[in-house]
Order: sequence, then C-alpha cells, then structure tokens
Amino acid sequence: MTADMTHDVVVVGAGVAGSLIARRLTTEGLRVLVLEAGPATPSTFEGYLQHVQTFYAASGKGAESAWPPAIGAPQPDARDLRSDNGYFVQRGPLKYGSTYTRAQGGSTLHWLGVSLRMLPEDFELRSRYGRGRDWPLRYQALEPWYRQAEREIGVAADVADQTHHGIEFADGYDYPMRRIPPSYSDIVLAAAVDGMSVRLGEDEIRLKVRSYPAARNSIPRDGYRPVGAVDIRPDGLGRDLYLGERCAGNTSCTPICPIQAKYNAGKSLARANPAYLTVLARAVASKLHVDPVSGEVRGVEYQRYEDTSSPRHTVHTAHGRIYVLAAHAVENAKLMLASGLGGASGMLGRNLMDHPSIYGWGLAKAPLGPYRGPLSTSGIDDMRGGAFRARHAAFRVDIGNDGWRPTTGAPDTTVVDAVQTRGLYGADLRRYLESTLARQVRFSLNAEQLPSAANRVTIDPRYLDAMGNPRPVISYDIDDYTLAGMAEATRVYREVFSRAGIEDHTDPEHSTWFPEVPYAGGTMRYHGMGHFAGTHGMGNDPESSVVDVDQRSWEHRNLFLVGAGSFPTMGTSNPTLTMAALALRTADRLIAEMGRSSHRQQPYRREQGRSRDLSSGGYTEDRPPEGLGDRL
Amino acid sequence: MSTASTRITTVERLREYLYLAMQLEHATIPPYLTALYSLKPGTNSDAYHVIRVVAVEEMLHLTLDANMLNAIGGSPDLTAPSFVPDYPAFLPDGETDFQVSRQRFSREAMQNILEIERPKQTPSEQHRLVRRSAPKAQQLAVVPGEPSMQYYSIGEFYAEIGRGFRYLHKEMGDALFRGDPARQVGKEYFYSGGGELTTVTDLDSAEVAIRLISEQGEGYGGRIYDEHRELAHYYRFEQLLLGRYYLDGDQPGQPTGPALSVDWDAVYPIKQDARLADYPAGSELRDAAVAFNRAYADFLGLLTKAFTGQPELLIEAVTGMFRLRDLMIQLIRNPIPGLDGVNAAPTFEMAAAAVVSS
Repeated sequence: MTADMTHDVVVVGAGVAGSLIARRLTTEGLRVLVLEAGPATPSTFEGYLQHVQTFYAASGKGAESAWPPAIGAPQPDARDLRSDNGYFVQRGPLKYGSTYTRAQGGSTLHWLGVSLRMLPEDFELRSRYGRGRDWPLRYQALEPWYRQAEREIGVAADVADQTHHGIEFADGYDYPMRRIPPSYSDIVLAAAVDGMSVRLGEDEIRLKVRSYPAARNSIPRDGYRPVGAVDIRPDGLGRDLYLGERCAGNTSCTPICPIQAKYNAGKSLARANPAYLTVLARAVASKLHVDPVSGEVRGVEYQRYEDTSSPRHTVHTAHGRIYVLAAHAVENAKLMLASGLGGASGMLGRNLMDHPSIYGWGLAKAPLGPYRGPLSTSGIDDMRGGAFRARHAAFRVDIGNDGWRPTTGAPDTTVVDAVQTRGLYGADLRRYLESTLARQVRFSLNAEQLPSAANRVTIDPRYLDAMGNPRPVISYDIDDYTLAGMAEATRVYREVFSRAGIEDHTDPEHSTWFPEVPYAGGTMRYHGMGHFAGTHGMGNDPESSVVDVDQRSWEHRNLFLVGAGSFPTMGTSNPTLTMAALALRTADRLIAEMGRSSHRQQPYRREQGRSRDLSSGGYTEDRPPEGLGDRL
Repeated sequence: MSTASTRITTVERLREYLYLAMQLEHATIPPYLTALYSLKPGTNSDAYHVIRVVAVEEMLHLTLDANMLNAIGGSPDLTAPSFVPDYPAFLPDGETDFQVSRQRFSREAMQNILEIERPKQTPSEQHRLVRRSAPKAQQLAVVPGEPSMQYYSIGEFYAEIGRGFRYLHKEMGDALFRGDPARQVGKEYFYSGGGELTTVTDLDSAEVAIRLISEQGEGYGGRIYDEHRELAHYYRFEQLLLGRYYLDGDQPGQPTGPALSVDWDAVYPIKQDARLADYPAGSELRDAAVAFNRAYADFLGLLTKAFTGQPELLIEAVTGMFRLRDLMIQLIRNPIPGLDGVNAAPTFEMAAAAVVSS
C-alpha cells in the first residue's frame, strides 16, 4: 500500500453542482479531487464532437443517446421505462419517469438549459398554503447566489420579463446576457394568448407568453464574455475556438449542442484552477468510511475501471478533510444507504420528487415555423403561483419549438404516416408535409409534486449492478394534489389551444408510449421531466431533514450532500439554477471555514500563468495522480 | 527610405489609410473561406479550426478598422467598386512580392497565407517602407501619396496608422475624434471573440484597436504569442505546414507541442481563382456562382449599413454567413463540365454581381 495523498475536499460527481464547487474552491487554492463514476467527457473539442458521431450511430435516438453509459456506472434510460428492465428497480405503484446521465458533466450534457428561479412563495409553501414544507431559507436569502449562478452558468434573459409572482432582483441587476430572441411561434402564440384569462378555483389568472431564462449564449451585457466551446488539449492549454459564444440555432440542444453554446458542467471544470484540481473519471464511489465515534467521514472508497465495457476494476480510497456528495439525488441517497448511513431520522432517500408532466399537441391554422432554433424559448408561467396552491398543484407550460417530436416522434413519423396511411407521394406528399409539419404545436405542462415520505429510493442486496453496487429501488406515486393540478393543466391548455385556433390532436393512445395514472374515472399519461429532487432534504430540524441549510449532513459534520436532493419542495422551476445557487452558497461556506483553519496546501502541479479564463483549464487525468489511493 | 509624402499628416490621409486597411482585412476573407470550405467534411479538423478562427478574427479586424474610420468622421463603404479585389491580387497595402489567390487548402495555399500574415521585420520607423520591386499587375491600391513605395508587411502598415493617429492627435487634440459615437460597433454585436471588440472614441482606444490587430496577426515583440497568450496567425498557419502545435515559449519555426495531422488529399480539387467565365453560360454552376456573388454583395451591403449607424445589423450579417457557406459548398462540391476532375468555386466577382442584378 502506498501512502494516500490527502486532499482538502473530495467531491463525488462531476455534474453541475460538483463542478461549480470544484471551480470555486480551486480558485481559492483548495485542493480538490473530483471522483466521477461515469466516463470522462473529452476536454478537447474534437473529442466532444465524437459524441455527435455516437448519436448518429445510436439505434435509438433518445436524449441520452450521445452519452452511452459505462458497464460500471449504469444509468436509467427512457427506453427501459416500458419494459421495466433497466437500471432502476421500479417498485411502483407508479413508474418514476425520469432519467439522468452518469458521465463527466452529468445531465447538463443534454439538458435544455431552462434556468428559472424559484418563486419566493415556493420557499414558504407550508406557511402560505398549508402544503408541503417550508425551506430553511427564504428567497431573499438565496438571491445573491442566484445572481452568481446566473453568471457562472451564463444565463440569457431580461429582468423585465422575469418579475412576476413576487420575484425580485437586486437593484440595477440584469442577466449577464440578453434574452434569446423569441421564436416565431412564440410571437404568434403571444398575439393570440396574451391577456386571456383562465380560472383556477377562485383565482382568475391572466396569461402571458413569456421568454424564459436559458443557459444559452446570447448577446452579452456589461462586459460579460460568453463562454463558448471548450478545447483544452493534452498540454493543458486551452484553444480559443471562437465557437459557441452565441447560440446559432442548431436546434439540437438535446441530445447535444454541437457548438457548446449551451452551458454544460465541463465549462465550469475547464475554468477551475487546474493547479488545484484533479478530476478522476471512471471512479465509482462505492462506500463512505465513517469514524464510529465522531461520525466524521474518514475516506471514500471508489472503484476504478479502465474499460467502459467491462466490470473489471480496482479499489482505492480517497481522503480529504471535507467530503461533498454531488452525485445526483438518487446516487447520493444510494451511496449513503450502501455505506450503512441511513441515519437516525429515517429521512434519507425519502421525499423523492419530479415534475410529472403532460403533453398537449395540436395543429395551428397557419405555419408557425417549428423545427428551428432552440428546442424551446418561451412558456406560460402564470399558473406557477397563487391561492389555488392550497387545493392543487401549481404548474408551468413549456412551449416547444420542435413540433410533435417529443410526443409522436415527428417529423419522421409524420412522413411514415403520410406515405403508409395516406398513400401520398410526389408533389402531394411534399405539399402535405410542408403544410402539416409547419403547423405543429406542442405544449408540455409540468406540475409540482410535494414531498411524500412514501416516495423513496432504497437499496436491496438482491439488486446489484455489474460491479456489485446496489441499483436504486424506487417507490413512487403521484398524489391527488398533483393529479388535480395535472387535470387543471389539461383544461387550461385546451382553453389556450381553443383561443389560439389550434386544433387539438393530443392522442396519447397513438403517440410515443408514456406511463399512465388513473384519475377521476379516466387515465392520464405523464412523463418525467428529469427533475429529481428530495432524498436528502434540508431543514432546521435533524429529526425531519437530512442536511442543514448549508447542505451539511446533520450526522456527519464533514460531509455535505448537495444538489436537488436537498430541496425540501421544488415548486415549478427546473431545478438546475437553484441547485447551482445552493452549491455556490455551500462553496462559500467551505471557503470561509477552511480558509480559517488551514495552512495552504501545495498545488498538485505547477500553476500556469493565466491571463484569460479559458487560456488553460483542468485537463482530465486519465490515471490517478501518483500516490493516490491504495491499489489492491 | 520614408519620405514626408508617405507620412500621415492630415485627417484625409488617415481616412484613406483606414479605408485601405478595411480593404486589406477583407481581402484575406475570400481566400480563407475558399480554403476552409474546400476541406472535405469530417476531415482535417485541426486545419478547419485554425482557418475558421483566423477568418473570424479578420472579421473582427475589419470591424475595428470601421470603428477607427468612423471615429475620425469617415464613412466605410464596402460596396464601392474595387473594394473586393480581383484575384489573384496584391495586398492593398502595397506588398508586391507575392499575390493572394483564392485556392483550395494545400501547402501552396498555406505558404500564400504565411506571406499575408508574415511578421514585421523592420522595427525601425525608417525601414517600414521599401521600394517596389515587383512589376505592377493587378494593382489594387498603393501607399497613399507615394505609388512607388510599399509596406513590407501588414504590421508596418498599421504602425504608420498608429503613428498618424498620434501625430494628428498632437496637432488637433480630441477634435480628431469627431465621428458620431452611435456608429461605433460594440462587442455585443460581434458573434464571437466579442470581448476584444473595442469601440474607438479617443487616442487610447484607437491604439488598443491597432495593437490588437497587429498582435493577433503577427505576434508581439518578436514572440510567437501575443500578450493574451494567443498564438499569432502566422504561427497558427505555420503549424499546419510543420505538422506540430506550438507551445508557449517555443522558438519560431520550432514547435514542440503535440503532433497535428493534416490530410492534404482530403480536399476538393477546386479551380484556383475561378471566374464566372469558367462556367458555361446557362449552366447550373453559372447560376449557382451568380447566386453566390449576389449573396456576397448583399452581405457587404449589410456590413456597410452595420458600419454606418445600424450596428445591430451585424448580427443579421453574421447569420447570413450560414447562407454564404451553403452557397459556397454547392459550388465547391461540383465538378466543372469539360475540365477533368476540377471542381467549381465561388468567384467573388462583385462587378458581375452588380451587372447581373441591375
């Protein structure tokens, strides 16, 4: 056994939360080891582009197709949902419909980039509406870190569009980049919809089509320089490709932005201080070692594999002063449970949430120009808050720019239908396709889900992956509060379609398969939004929460569990921006604390002079640094 | 060798120089784009990125020149006759020992580009001009006021512009900068590398603009990297010929970085300096070439508007470059009938575009 190298902080997971923390801590001269379970994502642009080829070659074209998992770090896949034969063990009664990616960069590799703040009232759901629970911090307390997160991940929006439902911004603040221009269909829909009102119980709600904040490069404000494509070569130096500094409308946000105009966590890793950063991919954290007396974590055991198509691996242990689990809401819970750290409160793994979502699709009277630009640029946010939340779930409407692609597999299926069912060919076929595809409209209606102790991640020794780690066992249901919100969302989208002259073609029986849930004598089809939350919720009370307001474990004081797993409730906003804000806040707490107690460590390697953010960056190590870990 | 008549001593002369500078920066773009899109898709990614990035930076330099010209009350017009050179052409700064061609990506093309981007070698003020040695062929522009003289390199040419700014500012003070600030193109309008696009409103900002252009092109103080640790254009292209990347600290001509692979054969065999007359009248190639020239004329028209009070149009112009690319690719991937194995290429003949569209 070789002597272990000690790090200041060991971070598990190179997704958005882990990467933001690594960047901030290394910038302050703290030595950070990041363990990533999945494959390395190349830091060269050429290597990144290979994933476009991977997508081309994939037989099924899902959001994950460009990012195939390793045998050693399996991940859920949308295609496994129906067959029930995937990574998740679904205990029911309903299927948990979301997926995530285990790779360096995490699910930001193929996210859409929606970067909404939560509403002030989302933090106080219990006090205001008697539902769910309150957060241990209020919107105003998190607001400074929202601003920082918007700068770190590069969010394009105009404050003028975003002040609704009491969302407040610091004086004089605006987003680092101007909003992404609304699509033509956004403009046409706004002309028809803006000002119409719908009733939700007692509340009369006026609707407005609103551009939403997106982590997608646009025209910068006030000296901000958009961060484009990363290209760090093996010499550790970054090449400036002048690529991706503006969204160019490749209409491929998922599965992969070919110019990296959209944020992915690799951009944060690339801007970390490389002298203080070590990223170790293909390193699956499998167990936390805890001091039985103090409860402090003493090391992270991890399995290192070379070959992504083989379960062969070696076992090592990494040591730090502080440990940060940033592996994902499900993976964080899984690792804790696998380490025997379920905790006295019994809360760990519970309160798993998502945004169960319904699609509505139709045909407009005139062409709206779908299949162009970012996959979505606007939404209707007016039903995100209000007194009705005492009775049923709030919801948000996403307006797609990609026609019926997510619902029916258009445009391909539209062609098949035209040829095989309608018997069209030649000029008639062209006319039909031009007319039909150009008029396709698709809404996605995303409902809030409340924390429920019965919705949970557990492990079971009968269900293990190829390297012997537990697979997540998921129990999941959608309660009447959320189902009632989904039903209201259905009613509202029909009213909006009717107002905008859109013929409703929603037909879940003849669409892509989605799981179903019975409600009010009928059934609803829902899909997951990939918005995992809960599992290690934060609170003020160790009896009813897993982490405190700083995301620090109540029971293991040198351990932090970060990410959307810490959310006590999730409101209706896509979780990434909020988890980014919380991660930066936690990083600041760590800097304040460790800066006081530590004498500065030597960097891992020589610091290179840097005059520009991207002139150098953390090149992913292919092998553990010398002396790291005790090989078995 | 410098004489009083080559010195910039009047605002009018400085404007002539700056307009010539715009012509000069632009003159590199058709050759760079032609070489870029002659690469076969899926091959030569190192070469592709090197050429593409430099082309973007030439657009940046063009915009900086427009800002300088506007700052002193001039008015850029990219639609003027002869703004686009007739290739093969001498560079508009009067360098006459080589001509610039529109040609496919090749060792010869890279040599040609190295000549365009060559570092200045005559640091002394006295020697930035040399007497013309080559015979006049496609004479585009000459040193204003001294047709028999030429600049050794683009760097020398910009050095004189910088000297002119300083001289006139000393003479006139801030009255030199009499242009309408609303015509300045800010970094928000530039697609990429926007952090470096500076508006020009005074002597300091003019000098920043000149320094950026000179250093990006040729390096700084004899080093291959500029002060922002960016490799100068000359050395970026040289890497392709030498098959190896430079690292900071390397000596010119002796890169020590990772190997770089170039497939000189994965290139469409396009006709060098193609002209409309190379395509049979009434052929699809002829129509496609005319369509490209019109689109390019539109592009220059849009840039002119962007540089004369509507900077937001620069966004539209850059978006329009996608269309230019598609039109170029149509030509480059198709053979010319009757010429065994020679493909077409865009001709960049703006006079023809004007005639056809009138």
